[in-house]
Formats: sequence, C-alpha cells, structure tokens
Amino acid sequence: MDLDDIEHSFYNRQSLLFLFYFLGKIMSLIHIENLSKHFSILNRREGLGGAFRDLFSGDYRTVKAVDGISFDIDAGEIVGYIGPNGAGKSTTIKMMTGILKPSGGTIEVNGITPYANRIRQAQIMGVVFGQRTQLWWDLPVIESFKILKEIYKVDQKTFDEHMGLFNDLVDLKKLYTQQVRTLSLGQRMLCDITASFLHNPQVVFLDEPTIGLDISVKAKMRSVIKELNQVRNTTIILTTHDLGDVEALCQRIIIIDKGSVLYDGDIKKVNSLFGAYRTLKLQIDGYNDSTLQTLQDAFTQKFGPEHGIAIAATEEFWTDVTIDQARTPLADVLNFIMTTFTVSDVRIVEISMENVVRKVYDGALK
Amino acid sequence: MRKYLAIVRGTYMIGMIYRLGFLFTIAGNVIYLGVAYYLWKSIFKNSETLRGLTFDQTFLYVGLGSAIFILLKTYTDWFMNSEIRDGSIAMYLVKPVDIGTYFLATSFGSLLMNITIVSIPTILLLLFVFKVKFIIGIGLLLFPISLLIAFFISFFLDYFVGLVCFYSESVWGLSTTKDIIVTLLSGGLIPLQFFPTALQNILHWLPFQAIYHTPLTMITQPDQSVDVFLQMIFIQLVWAVLLFMATRLFYIQAIKTVRVAGG
Amino acid sequence: MRSLREYIRLYFMIEAQYIKGRMQYRSDFIISSVGMFFSSLATLGIFWVIFDTVPNLAGWSLMEMVFIYAFYMIAISPMQILFDHAWQLRYHVQQGTFLKYYFRPLNMMFYYMSEIFDLKGLTQLVTGIALLIYASIQLHIDWSLWRISLLFIALFSAALVQISIIVAASCAAFWVVNSYPVLGLAWKLREFSPYPMSIFDGAFRFTFTYVIPIGFVAFYPSQLFLRPQDVSSLVYFSPMIGVGLFAITYWIWTKGVNSYTGTGS
Repeated sequence: MDLDDIEHSFYNRQSLLFLFYFLGKIMSLIHIENLSKHFSILNRREGLGGAFRDLFSGDYRTVKAVDGISFDIDAGEIVGYIGPNGAGKSTTIKMMTGILKPSGGTIEVNGITPYANRIRQAQIMGVVFGQRTQLWWDLPVIESFKILKEIYKVDQKTFDEHMGLFNDLVDLKKLYTQQVRTLSLGQRMLCDITASFLHNPQVVFLDEPTIGLDISVKAKMRSVIKELNQVRNTTIILTTHDLGDVEALCQRIIIIDKGSVLYDGDIKKVNSLFGAYRTLKLQIDGYNDSTLQTLQDAFTQKFGPEHGIAIAATEEFWTDVTIDQARTPLADVLNFIMTTFTVSDVRIVEISMENVVRKVYDGALK
Repeated sequence: MRKYLAIVRGTYMIGMIYRLGFLFTIAGNVIYLGVAYYLWKSIFKNSETLRGLTFDQTFLYVGLGSAIFILLKTYTDWFMNSEIRDGSIAMYLVKPVDIGTYFLATSFGSLLMNITIVSIPTILLLLFVFKVKFIIGIGLLLFPISLLIAFFISFFLDYFVGLVCFYSESVWGLSTTKDIIVTLLSGGLIPLQFFPTALQNILHWLPFQAIYHTPLTMITQPDQSVDVFLQMIFIQLVWAVLLFMATRLFYIQAIKTVRVAGG
Repeated sequence: MRSLREYIRLYFMIEAQYIKGRMQYRSDFIISSVGMFFSSLATLGIFWVIFDTVPNLAGWSLMEMVFIYAFYMIAISPMQILFDHAWQLRYHVQQGTFLKYYFRPLNMMFYYMSEIFDLKGLTQLVTGIALLIYASIQLHIDWSLWRISLLFIALFSAALVQISIIVAASCAAFWVVNSYPVLGLAWKLREFSPYPMSIFDGAFRFTFTYVIPIGFVAFYPSQLFLRPQDVSSLVYFSPMIGVGLFAITYWIWTKGVNSYTGTGS
C-alpha cells in the first residue's frame, strides 16, 4: 500500500462519514448540536439614584439558560421535553420555534435555521400554549379556522379533508358557530390543538396541553394528540409538568435541568422512576415512635423480605409509604393497611417532576 | 379607618416605584405649559386684558390648572370597570370594606403621590422657568381646602360613572364623554370668563365649575373679599354633599341589582 | 413571501369577521361613538371660545382653524381605526401573551394590528370628512382634480406621521415595565397638532417640526389648501417625512420584537 492508497482510503472514509452525517441530517427532522443561550441580566442598583444610573450603564451578569445541549429528533416521534421550572425548557423551545437566536451551536428544523427565517419556520410548525388560545377570541370557531386556512395557504381540498378528520376526532362541528370566548377550557384546547394541525405542519410544539383540565378531558386530549400524530406522522414536542401526559404519549423523553440534558432516551427506563412508584400518605391513629417499625415488620411478614416498600415520616402525623409496584401491587398494600391499622386519612401522591429529576441526579438511570 | 389608611399608603408606594413614569409626566407638563404659553401669548397679542384677565393671570390659571389636573382625575370609573369585567369586584362584596370608601382611599393615595411627583415639580417650573408670581393672601390660604373639596366632587362624579358600569359594558364611551364634559365645562382648559355669557350663566348652576374654576380663581384673582371666597367654598361643599348622597343612593340601588342578577 | 395583495385580502377577511363579532355589542358601539364625537368636539369648543374673544389666532380665522382641525381628524383616523391595538401592547408584553404573534407565517406588525379594528374611529373619520366639506365650502376652496389628489397624498403622509409616533411610543413596552407614560405623552402631543405652528417660536417650533413632527399631522399640509401661495417648501417633503418616520418606527418595532423573549425561562 503506497502513500497514494492511504490518502485515497482516507478520502473515502471522509466522504463516507460525510454521507452518514448528511443522511443523519436528512433523517432527523430536528438537529440540535451544542446549542446554548446565554442572557445578560442587569444587576439593578438600589434607590432612586441607582435606578437613574441603571438607565445609562449597568453591571451585567451572564445567565446560562441553555448550556450546550445536543439531540436529534426524527419525523413522527413524540418526545417529552421535561424538566423543573427554570431548567431551560422554554428557552430551547423558543430557539426551536425561531423566536430566540442561540448564543452558540447549531439548530436546524427540517434543514432550515429557525431564527434566520421565522416566517418559513412558522409555516412548517404548529404551536399550542396551554392556557392561551391562539384563535380569535371574538370569532366563531369555524371563522378562526377559515382565517388560518388563508394564513397558511391551505387549499380547499386539504382543508375539507382535515376538517373532516377533526370532526371525527373531536366532534368539532357542534362547536363551529360558538365564539371562542364562550368555549369551555377543554373545548378550547381541543380547538387549539386541532387548529395547530390544520396546515399539516411537520412539527407541533405542545406546551402544557392538559393544564387545568379534569381527568376525563385530559384522557380525551391525550388520545386526540396520539391519533393526530399517527394519522399525519407529525413530530410532536411535548413540554409538561404532568407526568401522566408523558407516560401516555411519549416513547422518548428528554429531561433537562440547569441548561443541560440530564437524560435522553427511552421512556421505559424513566418509567421505573415515576411509573412504578406510588406514594401513599397515611395518617395512622395512635401514631407513636414505634409505628414505623411496626409497619415495616408487618409488611415483611405479609409480603416477604423483598417487598420493595419504603417507609418514611415526612411531616407530623403523616407516614409516607412508597411502593414499588413492580414488586408489590399498590392495591394489595392499601388493602392490607386498611384492614390491619386504623387509618384516619389516606392520600395517593403522584410523583413530582422535581422528584424525578432528583432521582436522576442520584444515579437512578445509571 | 386604619384599613383605609393602609390602602392610601399602599397606593402611594406603588406610584413611587414607577419613576420613569414621573419623568414622562413632567415632560408632558413642560410641553403643555409651553404650548399654553405660546397659545395665550398669541391670543393676548393685541390686548392688555381680555374679559377682565391679564395674560399673567390667564397663564397662571392655565399653568396651575395643569399642575392640579392629574390630582382631580381619579380614574375610578376606569378601575371599577376593569374590576367589574374580570369579576374581582366581588372581592369587595365579601370583604368588610365599602367599595366607595375603598376607591376613595386608593384615589387619595394617588392624590398624595401625584402632589409629590407632579404638582410640586410643575409649580416649581411655573415659578422658576415661567416666572409666574403667586400673591400671598387669603386666597392662597384657602386654595388647599378648595382643592380638597374639588377632589371629592371629582371623585364622586367618577364613582357615579363607575357605578353605571354595573349596568353597561361600554365604559369607554361613557367615561370619555364624562371626562370631556368635566374638563371643558369646569374651566380645566380655559378660564370660564372666556366662555360666552349665556353659557357662563348656565355653567354657574352646574357642579363642574366647582372642580377647576373655584380653586384656580382663588389664586388668580386673590384681590376679593373673604366673604366671596367663603361663599365659593360653601357652594363647593353643597355640591360635594349633594353628589355624595347621589352616589350613595345609586350604590344601594346598584348593589341590589347585582345581588339579584348575580353580577 | 406573501404579496401585498394577499395581505390586503387577508386583512379584509379578518376585519369582516371581527366587525361581525363586534356587532353583538351594538350599544357599546353607539355609546363609544357618542364619546368619540364629544371628544372631537372638545377642541372645536376651545376654538369657539377663543374666537369668541379674539377675531383671529396668529392671522388664522376660525373657519381656517376648523379646516385644519377637520384635516387633523381625518389624518388621525387611520391610526385610531387600524392601529388601536398599539394601546394593548404593554399588556401582551407583560403577560407573555405577545409570544403567539411570532408563530404565524405573517408579518408580525400586520398580524398584531389586524386583531383590532376600532369601529368608533369611523365616527371620527365621518365627522372629520363632514367638517372638511363644510369648512371648504365656507372658505370657497376650489377643488380641482389636482387639488383632490394632493389632498389624498397629504392625508396619507399625515396619517403615516401620526401612526409612526403612536406605534413608536407603544414600542417602549418592549424595554420598560411601566411604559404607559411614554404612550400617554405621545397621545397628549397629538392634541397640539391642529394649532398654527406659527404661534410657536424657538425650541417649540423646532421640536414640532423636526423632532416630533406633529406639525406635519395637520398644520403644515393644510396650508397647501388654505394658503397655497405661501407654503414653505418643507411641506412638499411631507410624504417623504411620513414614509421615513414609518420606516424608523418599523425598525424600532423589529428591534423590540427581537429583544423581547417573553416572561419566564
């Protein structure tokens, strides 16, 4: 093998790599690499004089809202993008939707850089913000849809087809003549979500789509989202505080905290963190120092030593019983407790976002 | 009483936080004073006195009018409307406060704040930039009292229109109409002496002139007997009491309607 | 890119629906129109009182002032009718509801302003037109075709000046928390534009002509019809001033829109 050959194969490898890279870019709808966003925040001075001086000069500090995140999202995926408040979720979403210009790194949606071309980006995406409608407040629902048809230049045939689909899914027709302001929150959310799919976008951003809705409407909302995703193969990025949404909809989850990606992968692994665990909060009559030990012994006796139940006293008079459902079903534990002890109050606690994040930090996914 | 004092204090503090607003309000007043100065200068171009007033007296009237303008505008009707619309007015119906007294307390807080950040600076401007002279006398002494009564009259009018909001959604039209009528017919922009005599005679029997014209006259025409001044204040008091009773009656009626119709 | 024609079509479509929706509040429309009518009359009332005392103001007669005022009413109507949403900008910016305007494939200023069509402004427009006709009959202004086209150009430029001042002032909301006083000041300045600029001198005339050119909203362009023989050449630049100011305002708007990132992280 002479020098020429070596050089040749080197070039080949280069071009092959390039080809892979290129294919990867074609295949993934959203490509984010080492993305960051830093804000300069003014440290305000005190008093009238200080406020006056701040008008002209100020002392700034940098806040790294997003600090070097990378991921790729493929067409048709539903991805849960979650994290506690202030983690950098909204900042990332704003960069993906083209509102914010990144401080560094690459972001491409369908091959275009969002902030460089807001209008083109807007044409291929849909956005729903939980509590704020994007429909026209004073107009009947159908008129909002007609205006959207014009804004997104949807042709009549596609429009009719989509309206037919929405009608099948959510019985939209009976809301047609109602003004948006007179709709219930659930109805309005259904309208907002279907409206965001009207122009057949490639990606839809859903921000807290089930916030403030009651259980049955939540379930309806989730099934509609799932259905739309399957029928139209639309990529959906879901940010939410409701882990039930994530469980019901996503195959993949990205957890972000303090501007960095904490976890990116299959939901099943994370599921073990919040899916299998449930916490019972109990108020046991005649609570005393030995109650915890008594419970522990009773569980071991009843369910064997591998019962997977953790007991802790978190606040006065309350005992927390955290159950790993993979080992012992919640119903059995509850049944056992109710028959064995005198319980004056019981609550089932959903695991919170903060708890999940804390567990990831503690190495639960390693 | 103490809870209302807390409201007065709170409103005062809130206003003081927004200092930028203060700069722009002052700038607005400087421009207004300048425009008024040139406008009246050109009206007085060919005459020493018009309708018994000299240029200096007229400009003092208009300038001082702009200094107290913000004090006599309580915006109570606008606030009430927004609270009625978003339903937060119900909070007052369940709390142990009287709506009218509550809004009076907020307005009074704003009054104190606006005296500090708008009226006093504007008066200083008048004194040192426009070289206006105040004549020390009984009129100057009675001016604060007259101004306070004027504030109450203005508040009752605003509150009355605010109560109409329980019945009508279109407060923009109502309040705008009221604002225009009050500012114009009270002599807030032009001294009433300049109005045609027939109109002056009618205005004499309306409450509006008690808002701007009475306190401003105390300063601009100070060389009148004490009796005249006291009579002016007496008329103001009569209007204040009459309007207070009117709002009280209207309030009782409005609350009845709200409780029945469910607001 | 979307063509101007598409935008106009879209605008008419949105407003037609909007007006249909507002028609439920017919009594509000009527009462608001009355309010609008009264507020138009206020300045006329001031003129009337002034001219009850003196025969002319810096050489301008009452009827000439009425003409200028009518011109002013028509010139500020497009701002009132089409750009009224500027007043709510600070609420949207503060509460984060402004975000939604980024998400449509439309020009943002267009989309934002299209959400409100202020019906009561029509009352002002109609009153202004009626007054203009009345005053020009009284003043024996002879309307040739050329004059009429000149009137349209002059009104268009004046309207742009007024729109620019108000929209630029409303943009303060992007940078300042309590931006109301800025807009309030711009609104107050508007009322001074029908006065003869010749009564001012020095700093005031300079400011109203070159800095915040409210003189171009009514007084300067009206001279084209009232005193064509002694119009200053500056007046012929008013279309450029209108377009230039609007360009500056649009630039400020774009800056604001880019700097605004919404509340929360």
